[in-house]
Amino acid sequence: MQFLLFNFLYPTFGLLLQSASNGRFATAWEKAQHPDLSKFLIIAALLFIIGVAGVLTRRNIIVIFMSIELILNAANLNFIAMSRYLQDTGNVNAVAGQIFAVFVIVVAAAEAAIGLGIVIALYRNKETIWVDEIDILKW
Amino acid sequence: MILSGWESVFFWIFSIAAIFAGLLTVMARNTIHSALFLISSLVSVAALFILLRAEFIAGVQILVYVGGVMVLFLFVIMLVNVGSEERGSEEIFNRSRQVTTSVIFCALLVGGLLYAINVGYEGLQKRDEVAVIGAAGLRVADEQNLPQAATGSSRITRETERVGSGLYRYGSLPFEIASVLLLVAIIGSVMLARTLKQEAAVDDTAPEILQHEAQHDPEIAKLQSTIAQ
Repeated sequence: MQFLLFNFLYPTFGLLLQSASNGRFATAWEKAQHPDLSKFLIIAALLFIIGVAGVLTRRNIIVIFMSIELILNAANLNFIAMSRYLQDTGNVNAVAGQIFAVFVIVVAAAEAAIGLGIVIALYRNKETIWVDEIDILKW
Repeated sequence: MILSGWESVFFWIFSIAAIFAGLLTVMARNTIHSALFLISSLVSVAALFILLRAEFIAGVQILVYVGGVMVLFLFVIMLVNVGSEERGSEEIFNRSRQVTTSVIFCALLVGGLLYAINVGYEGLQKRDEVAVIGAAGLRVADEQNLPQAATGSSRITRETERVGSGLYRYGSLPFEIASVLLLVAIIGSVMLARTLKQEAAVDDTAPEILQHEAQHDPEIAKLQSTIAQ
């Protein structure tokens, strides 16, 4: 399987792309075969923006909470990727990113517990979880 | 770092899975489906953590997020019982004008972030290229020198040890503060989730509020009379 992949599939696609586009896609394909820090940063950025879009567009408060979890997770991915990069460039204290990720997870867990407690209290009093119906602080 | 071979194949599989599951989290009509898609997104990101040699964080992610937080989410979704509401024709997004504005905002954010990463990364790459390429060779040599464990998990053990010692060496004060934060979260969520009936049962409400509520709710009136005796 590995033999097939490296000796047959990759070169075939590489050749196809190269003949089609003067080698521009071939370099992209070469880069895609060896993902580096920037790929991880881009994935994290996309996850972050999906989370932001969820917070801004959805009406259901629980889905908004889940989007916030997505945002925090994207931040974690950034921390871990940077930590690995620092390890490779021979930096001191290269596990700082991983330690920070632990704290982000702790804060996310606390936030989820409090937030869902608020949702339950809100549902008990207002019988709704649509955010556009919850626009007063006191009733 | 530069991944190669099977690592890059798994990188693409898991990153595409994470992004699609994230998108479906935001777009799913049923909230329970949303929660399940979020779980698969979190698991894919945990797999990316393993590719980045952060096995401890990947384990914590699975245990805390998937095992704890998401189960809590599923419980709350079932408690507030919104699945039946959303199956109708009711719109799950906000007003269309608001959605348009936020999508434009997000598209701008995508453009800005991708541009910033591309531009900024070139300089970083130029500075660290030699070290990064050298590190790949060093890492392979280092892993061959590891002691042979019966389960073949020497590297995971060592990485976890480094994270643990780093946590206590550089982050012991934030660690203690985090424990206080978790305590506050526990007490706060218990406070918030308590019903008036439960509060009245331990005599923890103001009498006039109890009087007011007793006019609507016969059970609270019954409780009030037992407390009064």
